[in-house]
Amino acid sequence: MTRYDLIVVGAGPAGLSAAAEAAAAGMRTAVFDENLKPGGQLFKQIHKFFGSKEHKAKIRGMNIGAELLGEAERLGVEVFLSSPVMGLYKDREVLVRQGDGVCRYKGDAVIVATGASENMLTFPGWTLPGVMGAGAAQTMMNVNRVRPGDRVLMLGSGNVGLVVGFQLLQAGCSLAAVVDAAPRVGGYGVHAAKLARTGVPFYLSHTIVRAEGTDRVTGVVIGEVDGKWNVISGTEKRFEADTICIAVGLSSSTQLLKMAGCEMRDDGAGRLPVCADDGETSIPRVYAAGDVSGIEEASSAMLEGRISGAAAAGALGFITGDALLSRKAELEAALESLREGMFAPKNRGKLPDKTDVGLPVSASLLSRGYLGDAEVFEYPGVKRASGLHPVMECTQNIPCDPCRDACPKGCIKVRGGIVSLPELDEAAGCVGCGLCVAACSGQSIFLVNENAGDGGAEVTIPYEFLPLPEKGERGVALSRSGAALCPAEITDVKLLPAYDKTALVTLRVPTALAMKARFWKREASV
Amino acid sequence: MNMSVDRTRDFGEYVPAPDDDIIICRCEEVTKGEIRRAVRDGMFNVHEVRRFLRCGMGLCQGQTCARLVRTLIARELGVPPGVLDEATGRAPARPTEMYVFANEKMEGI
Repeated sequence: MTRYDLIVVGAGPAGLSAAAEAAAAGMRTAVFDENLKPGGQLFKQIHKFFGSKEHKAKIRGMNIGAELLGEAERLGVEVFLSSPVMGLYKDREVLVRQGDGVCRYKGDAVIVATGASENMLTFPGWTLPGVMGAGAAQTMMNVNRVRPGDRVLMLGSGNVGLVVGFQLLQAGCSLAAVVDAAPRVGGYGVHAAKLARTGVPFYLSHTIVRAEGTDRVTGVVIGEVDGKWNVISGTEKRFEADTICIAVGLSSSTQLLKMAGCEMRDDGAGRLPVCADDGETSIPRVYAAGDVSGIEEASSAMLEGRISGAAAAGALGFITGDALLSRKAELEAALESLREGMFAPKNRGKLPDKTDVGLPVSASLLSRGYLGDAEVFEYPGVKRASGLHPVMECTQNIPCDPCRDACPKGCIKVRGGIVSLPELDEAAGCVGCGLCVAACSGQSIFLVNENAGDGGAEVTIPYEFLPLPEKGERGVALSRSGAALCPAEITDVKLLPAYDKTALVTLRVPTALAMKARFWKREASV
Repeated sequence: MNMSVDRTRDFGEYVPAPDDDIIICRCEEVTKGEIRRAVRDGMFNVHEVRRFLRCGMGLCQGQTCARLVRTLIARELGVPPGVLDEATGRAPARPTEMYVFANEKMEGI
């Protein structure tokens, strides 16, 4: 039996962070993961992350994963792949399948970071090929480079549904609709707006009635639900689709913790381990970090992992005294800041109707996925100004502020905490560098020049679809709702290394449409 | 925490529903109707239904259906799902061939 100071189960964001933190303190650390590749779900996340600089905001998840893996390897963490952990026993003994046999290991501390699995929903036809979890579709696209289908219906408007929906569009699928039984969009408004402006319709208070098809999905019928989640007859709508993605939440993968005998509690949806603030379960020196201890997202999972790693190092005397206390305080403060705002775990299930500064949350954004053309001016980031200036259509309190640091001229102010809405400082003088447009993880910043000469205006939009438009190419400008507004010519396409693969596409529209045009489509595809 | 359901309560007879033929556990091909009927026949928790119908005991070990089965049993009993214990966590946590499970290597590779 091989002994380690720390054994980590799961090489995802929480597990790798825990291992890196512990190894940095001098612990001999092993990580076991059942997959062929490390990183858990991180390498599937091709979008830019939210948060602040300390949370690696505006960096794409896959790049955060590569960085984290490099850190763990540099620190001497031993990462064992294709090594499913089969059991966790008394005295932190870990049974691992390796090759054609099983091996026993012992950890002086064990951190369980096994993540979560996707919830499913049943309806007639749910077992047909073509019905899959949104995470599964994401794995097919972003890991295995296989397009899951041609025309997809997304059930679930939480961040997973919205983010995967957008990635399906990037992969070249069309999205029939985003459907959610809840009366409001569950995820970030900016994620919904990215989909809506491409023309994807949102059906809130709707659910799937049935999937059609005999040996694969050929269509899907949805219907409106009443207050008791029953479909109201006569409200059925049919869509052509060959794929249905289900994004109705995740369940923590707690099997090992249960097996080990950790005390569990019920959170209404399932059993979760009872943990101290540092992730320690009811069993001394057995910790739970990341989604296994309660569903959040990757940024908080990485911090939870680090906190548990530091705690394990502290419990075994690898870090002591002030060094331990200050490291834990630093990590806990970073985690707390991610847990602020209207989408914080503590606000789950509540209906936020006002932002922290008392502005109403857009009802249109919550029910249709996009901001109304008039109400958008109510928010501090949206101002009419002479000349070129950024328009920040950021209207919900989300823990995110890379726009502030992106602007070299200081045009963007985020007063108050990380969840405050950005404001435009006209006096600072925008030079049109576009760094804010590319830095906004929600793709909600646009550069607008209402007087670009000859009675026209120029609107610069973030654009993450291939092939990129070419300068001089003609197409159609789309509104926030994805409706065709007017013919629009591309006047500039910029893709600087600093933009990190978010292209800045400038289109020319009549001045009257400068505050309405927010996307562009090739004529052929309209 | 292991709250139990009052076994003396009369939950009534099984009444067929139009969607009873939907498969809930894909690995073992257990339908919604079979689970609903099992509850009416006196299987009042996840463990009993599993042993009786094998739902959640196939290749994926309940990865997909565990939550569905628990919710369905709870709905049938008219209790919140949280009242029902989840299935017991047991080794091997991942499906493993017997010849591998029996081949214990004394030293880690």
